[in-house]
Amino acid sequence: MLGLFGTLSLANRSLQTQRNGTEVAGHNLANVNTKGYSRQRVGIETSLTVPSDMGPQGTGADAVGIYQLRDALIDRQIVNETSVRGAYESRQRALQFGQAALGQQIDRQATGAEGAAAASGVGGQHGIAEDMSALFSAMQSLSTSPTSVSERQVLVIKAQSLATQFNQVSTRLDTLRTSLSDSLASDVEQANIALADIAKLNEQIVAAELGTTGKANDLRDIRQTRIEDLAKLVRIETTANSNGSVDIAVDGVALVSGPNLDDTLETYDAGGGQFLVRTATGGTALNIAGGSMQGTIDARDTDLLAMQTQIDTLASTLISEVNAVHAGGYGLTGTTGEDFFTGTDASDIAMNAALVNSPSMIQASGVAGAVGDNSVMVQMAQLADKAHAGLTNQTFLESYGQSVAALGQALNGTNTQLANQQIVESMLLRQRDAVSGVSLDEEMTDLIKFQRGFEASAKLITTIDEMLETVMNLKR
Amino acid sequence: MRVTANTFPNSLLNQLNSLSQRQNKLQNQAATGQLVQLPEDDPVAMRRVLDMQAEAKSVGQYQRNIARHQELADASFNSIKSLKKVSDRVRNISISADGLKSQEELNLYAKEVTELIKTAVQAANTKNRGDYLFSGTLSDQPPFVMATDANGNVTGVTYQGNTTLAESEIATGITLSAQNVGENSSGSGPRGLIADSRVGADFFNHLIAFQNNLLAGDTAAIEATDRVNLGQDEENFLYHLGTNGAIQSRLEATDAMAANRTDTLEVLVSNETDADLAQTLVRLNQTQTAYQAALQSAGKILGSSLLDYLR
Repeated sequence: MLGLFGTLSLANRSLQTQRNGTEVAGHNLANVNTKGYSRQRVGIETSLTVPSDMGPQGTGADAVGIYQLRDALIDRQIVNETSVRGAYESRQRALQFGQAALGQQIDRQATGAEGAAAASGVGGQHGIAEDMSALFSAMQSLSTSPTSVSERQVLVIKAQSLATQFNQVSTRLDTLRTSLSDSLASDVEQANIALADIAKLNEQIVAAELGTTGKANDLRDIRQTRIEDLAKLVRIETTANSNGSVDIAVDGVALVSGPNLDDTLETYDAGGGQFLVRTATGGTALNIAGGSMQGTIDARDTDLLAMQTQIDTLASTLISEVNAVHAGGYGLTGTTGEDFFTGTDASDIAMNAALVNSPSMIQASGVAGAVGDNSVMVQMAQLADKAHAGLTNQTFLESYGQSVAALGQALNGTNTQLANQQIVESMLLRQRDAVSGVSLDEEMTDLIKFQRGFEASAKLITTIDEMLETVMNLKR
Repeated sequence: MRVTANTFPNSLLNQLNSLSQRQNKLQNQAATGQLVQLPEDDPVAMRRVLDMQAEAKSVGQYQRNIARHQELADASFNSIKSLKKVSDRVRNISISADGLKSQEELNLYAKEVTELIKTAVQAANTKNRGDYLFSGTLSDQPPFVMATDANGNVTGVTYQGNTTLAESEIATGITLSAQNVGENSSGSGPRGLIADSRVGADFFNHLIAFQNNLLAGDTAAIEATDRVNLGQDEENFLYHLGTNGAIQSRLEATDAMAANRTDTLEVLVSNETDADLAQTLVRLNQTQTAYQAALQSAGKILGSSLLDYLR
């Protein structure tokens, strides 16, 4: 038996409970567009029963807690997949820059001064390939008119143009690799901020949850978002503790344990400007397995490095092969022994300044004094079709084509992998949204539900009030 | 599956994004007519196309080389023709100058032969683009230098070129020269135009001997030796005219082959890189329709919610 006053207090608690419901629905509605927010539900349970003659009797309902609807399994998977996507994205970005640095593309509508091929319909190529073809064409032209100074000038211009193209590609690739190291450093900086945030949030969550049965839902949402931010930068291992905190480790090295920030990350020069990641205090070199840091390191140290090495090898083989033939020839004025190219690789290849100043010094003739001889120039022109041991028995253009194709293959593969990864991730995000996302329709119906409940509870109070009045009026 | 407030906008965004990407790609293909433009589009095709374009460029260069050879062959042909004319006239004179002619007449013939020698030397010293045609690779020096005596008679013509020809490529690994050397007395190498020890041709010396025999009135020697010698020289000119023709037709054939190869390469490159315009446009149309459908349907769904029905 609750009695009238007992029922009055039941109605009072009921009002509170329904009000809690509208409050939570309002909180959900307010956060419908908040990143990382997961919807909350108020937990309503029947109050403790009281014994009565009829057996245990109910005493209404109480709001016992506010729960978050989250799926830990999906969260974990999303953290993992975010790292994978971060790696692909940064790799794709780096390789796209590499592709741009190379400047190699097929242009079927290309025209120009040397547009003979374009006019015949196979199109231009741009980049090193175009200039390389032009150089050997100019050598061929000179071989048909060995005494012509104008053909010599054309050859000088083509050789300079190729050398400049090599220099530019080399500089661009150098700059790209440096800026990738910079971007790694900035990733590390962001990761350190995220690590500090997570440690701080751990502390706040433990403090907020201490001594209560409820959970610090909103702080946990924020922490989850920060963990995902961090996972995008670097692959992490997370361990949830019973007190609500989460430990973070990278490559098995603990960085956050509970409220403590054990260590942070820093970049270091592993030699030759190859910047890698290690822990700042412990100095442990970390093997980064995922996240944008890994994508950046990977693209920088494999594909782009290989590209740069191949371009350098191509340039140095070109320099040595052309010079070896050229040195044995004779210029129009009888000069001999001059190099055609100076420099050692793509970064410093240049046409010999003496020949630039005086094209008649180009040593086309193979016989001293015979200016009409072209044997050396023919040999130089024929280098274009020769398989060079230094280029794994390929011609200059084949070797270059292979480098271009290798970069294209890497980028093409990354594009496909990233597209697949985006599908996986968007499926997971949809699943998470299905569990944790706020539905306006649901919240609106909840509002109606709790509003009606509130109205009904209020009605109960008026009813009890009227009943009390009736009781009061029993005695006149 | 539970659909929430952000499910629609998020998936709409994804769909629009991927449709835009596809439209951009197809539009690019339609505008450029190319399926493959960057290495990432199709690395394997890129590699093949780079190789084929390099080949097309070198074939184009070979065609330019051939044109240059044809120019030289034409220039040589004209000079040889002039020499052959001289040779024809001299042969006529050698037949006319028999024992029935007076010394007066023979002297007149000698005068004409002297002038003919000078014409021949001039023809043999022809220049093309600043280079002497017949001095081998010593092309900066006139091949023949003539010496005359006080009477204006030619006493000697000396060759100061060499016996090497500058060959250049007309196709990968195939070199030739459309030129001739002036003299070759070495017994090997290219055949000399004026003199060659292998066939007994020595035009200028034979002319000089003939000139001197005319002056000396030695008609017996003219009949016995000069006619024979000049005959050998004529044979030599005919040989060179024939060779020149053969080289010209070889150049033409090689040029035609190169042109064919360029056409073939064009088809091959087109197969690798070109977009099928009809197919591309149909797909672009489909994608545009899908894009519009996505926008329209989303506009309807996103605009309505339970809020529209609550007061």
